[in-house]
Parts: sequence; C-alpha cells; structure tokens
Amino acid sequence: MNALVAFSIVALVVVGTILFALFSLRRFPSDPQQYLVGGRSFGTILLWVLLAGEIYTSFTFLGAAGWAYGYGAPAFYILAYGTCGYVIGYFLLPAVWRVANERRLLTGPDFFLDRYGSRALAIGIALLQFAALVPYVTLQLSGLQTILRIIGYGGVDSTLAVTIAFVAIVLFVFTAGLRGTAWASVVKDLLVLGAVVFAGIVIPTQFFGSPAAMFDQLLRTHPSMLSLAPGTAPRGTVWFVTTVLMTGIGFYMNPASMNATYSARSENVLRRNAMLLPLYQLVMLLVFMAGFAALLIAPGLHGAAVDQSFLLVVQRYYPPWVMGVVAAAGALAALVPSSALLLGAAGVFAKNVLGDGLGIATSERGRMRAMRVLVLVVGALSLAFWAIERDKTIVELLLLYYNGITQLAPGMIAAFVLPRATAGSVAAGIAAGLAVVVYLVLTGAPFFGINPGFAGLVANVAVLLLFSRPSGSSAAT
Amino acid sequence: MAVAAIPVCALSVAVPFVNRVEPRVLGLPFLLFWILLWVLLTPPCLWLVGRLERRW
Repeated sequence: MNALVAFSIVALVVVGTILFALFSLRRFPSDPQQYLVGGRSFGTILLWVLLAGEIYTSFTFLGAAGWAYGYGAPAFYILAYGTCGYVIGYFLLPAVWRVANERRLLTGPDFFLDRYGSRALAIGIALLQFAALVPYVTLQLSGLQTILRIIGYGGVDSTLAVTIAFVAIVLFVFTAGLRGTAWASVVKDLLVLGAVVFAGIVIPTQFFGSPAAMFDQLLRTHPSMLSLAPGTAPRGTVWFVTTVLMTGIGFYMNPASMNATYSARSENVLRRNAMLLPLYQLVMLLVFMAGFAALLIAPGLHGAAVDQSFLLVVQRYYPPWVMGVVAAAGALAALVPSSALLLGAAGVFAKNVLGDGLGIATSERGRMRAMRVLVLVVGALSLAFWAIERDKTIVELLLLYYNGITQLAPGMIAAFVLPRATAGSVAAGIAAGLAVVVYLVLTGAPFFGINPGFAGLVANVAVLLLFSRPSGSSAAT
Repeated sequence: MAVAAIPVCALSVAVPFVNRVEPRVLGLPFLLFWILLWVLLTPPCLWLVGRLERRW
C-alpha cells in the first residue's frame, strides 16, 4: 500500500512532466540550428534554468548527501568546484560563443575542427565526450534505482529497479527535446528545491531542534568528520584542492553545456549567468545538512548504500505521500539531465562522427534514427557499467566522468591563449592526460593524495606545451 | 582577472589553511562557513569584473 501511494505520485509527476514538455514542443525541430542550439535565442532566465537543469542532478540530490553521510567534509568540494567552474566559465564561454556564432558552429568538436583544422581531432573529441558520458548516465541510473528501491518499501530488488530506471530514461529521452527539457527543468527545479528544503531544514529541526544543534551533536559523535584529513591522506586537503581545480576546469566540457552555451542570445547573457549561477549552489548546504541529519538518525549505511541517506529517513519516519513527492523530485533530477546529456552527446556523435567522419546519416531522418540508436547504445553501456561498478557511490561515478571530460579543457583554452598549439599537440596532450588517468585509476595508486584527473591534466598541459611548434614571436604567449 | 582569481584561490589553495571546525559561525563548522562565504562573494566579484571590463 505504501509503495503503491509513493509509486503513483512518482509516475504521475514523471508522466505529467513528459506531457508538459511535449505540449511546449509538439514537433522535434528538423533544423540542426534549432535542435542543437535552440536557434541561438535563449535569454538569461531560460539559459539559467537550462544550465542549472543539467548541472543539478541525482548527483546533487542523492550523491552529495551520500558523501556528507559517508565522509563528511570532503563532500564540501562540491560547493567549491561548481563556483570555480562558473568563474572560469565567465571568461571562457563568451570567447567560445563568439567563435561559434561567427562560424555558425553546432557542436563542441566543431570548435576544435574550426580552430585546429583537423577532422580527426574533432572525431576523437566527439568519441571522448561520448565515452565519458557512460559513467555519467550510470550515475543517474544508480540514483534512479536507489529511489525506486526506497519507494518499493522492500518490495523492489535492484535488478528490477535498474531495469525500470533504464526504461524510464530511454522513454523520457525519446519523448522530450531540447526546448522541452528546458521547461521540464523548471518543474524539476521547483520540486527539488522543495524536497531539499524539507530534507535539509525540516528534518534537522524536527529531530534536533535546529540545524546548529545538529552540528553540535555531530561534533560530539563524529569529531573528525567536519574537517579534512591533513595533507596527502585519502580525501585529505591535497585531494580537496586538486579535485576542486580539476572538476572546476572540466565543468563546462560536456556536450550539452557546449550546446547550451551556443544557444545563448549574446555574450553578456553568458556572463550574467556565470555571475548568478553560484547562488544556485547554496542549495548544496541544505543537501549536506540532509546527509548529516540522516547519519545521526539512521546510521549504519556503508559503501554505495550511503546514497540512500535521507531517503531512508523519509521512508522510515514520514507518510508515503511525502516519500512520493521527495522521490518524484529525485526521479526528475535523474531524468531531465540524463535526457539533455544523452541527446547532446548523440547529436554530437551523429554530426561529427557519422556525418562529417563517415558521411552517413546526413539526412534528417537518418540522423534522427542514428540518434535514437546512439541513445540506446549509451544506455546499454551504462547498464553494463552499473552492473560492474555497483559498489561505487554516485560521487565516485561523477569523479570518473570528470577525469575524462576535463582532458578537453587544455585544448579549448589553448585555442585562445596559445597560438602555436596545433591539432597534433592538442591530441598528444589529451592522449597523455588520459593515459595518466587510466593508469592511476586502474592501479589505484595513492600518488600523494592528488586527484588522478588533476595529475592527467598536468601531463596534458605539459605535453601540449612541449609538442606545440615553437615560433619566435608568438611563443611569448 | 585578478579580482576573479580571488574566489577561486579562496575555494581551492586556501582551503588547507582554513581546515578547522572552530570558530563556529552561525552554527556551521568554520570550513563549511568559509566555503559558503566565498560562494556568496563570487557573484559580487564577477559583477565587479564586468564593471572593470565595462561589460555593464
């Protein structure tokens, strides 16, 4: 009965959002200028929602609370890296937009094609964006199956849950497009905000009297949890600094953020966005408090189970309709961003790899069919990845994604500050970066507590500088 | 650029130096308060950068 109430609410909200999205966009636009970059017509507000829609996901909703629950202070990196990402975006995005607008670019790899004149490099970048998406979609799948298991009140096992999650993501992608996602983001953001205020303020206040009293109790029971381990310890201060920098630099490197950037009406829309988006981050404070409250109320979760944190509190101590509303917010937090990223990556792959590279799927119908197949391919790969890496928390999955995607940043920044950079040196840099990342992740070597993605980034920049052709006058930059 | 670098440094390389629980501010442990403070100060910093660059 409990499960039925909660499930009905989630289904109602998800189906309602799909219908809302379809109503605001009856037909998938056939012109790539429309479906990839929304006709370059989005103003500050719509773009703010769109960018936030992709950035605030299952990761924000469950992953951050889960890490606060499991590790404490290391989770604070999430507040810091987004903000650093916006500051970098303030400078980088208007510059990228200017080039994209002048040259009528459609995708992130198009930018590399235009600047470095190498089709092979553009194809490689599209493939990397596509591959990096797998851990990202896995994270959303993992979040969704966690929610489904919680609202099943014990009646849903993880195999059934992840199957439903996969079907839900694919259905959502196939029914909503770019403009549709922007409006679905509005619904999602309002629901997530409500759920987070409930979990981060109402729960701590009901159980402990006030959020401050909750921190008092946390300091008594877990005294070392609210500061970082020193130096090179796992998730210590060195890890914190390198992780914030690495993920901040990679913040805008995903295909959907690139498309959202191109869809801006003007450069200043992007600057104003970068200025205002850090305020969105304040929600994270409430998410951390929800995770800390859950640790005190329902201790004992370990491994990937920490992602359940406050959901478990809601399930145990609140009526099923509250559970249903919170779960619906979480479900949209998984569906809307995966949809945007899957469509973004599939569109990029169809254009840069299939269209430009192989000369296939160039017609409108061919491209649509190719995109559907590609979405299914990433979905299936993510399902397989989840089956292998099911002990990984949501935050760990996101960090894997960033390890890969950040390696695109040096080549993109070099396009503006390093005139002597070439397609070869950018490709060599990316290869070096990925080699370091893969080695460090697979061996699990501690490497002085430095984040593997950051070590890769350093190798990437070093190789990029080394292999860029030296030329007297421009070498000064 | 220099103005924009302040919040980035405060949120990354400065963190090992503010890695402490006391003093508590508004009930929050100091590290969390420090990060929150700089998240809040970032929009004014970027606004100032925009003014200095004469974007608005």
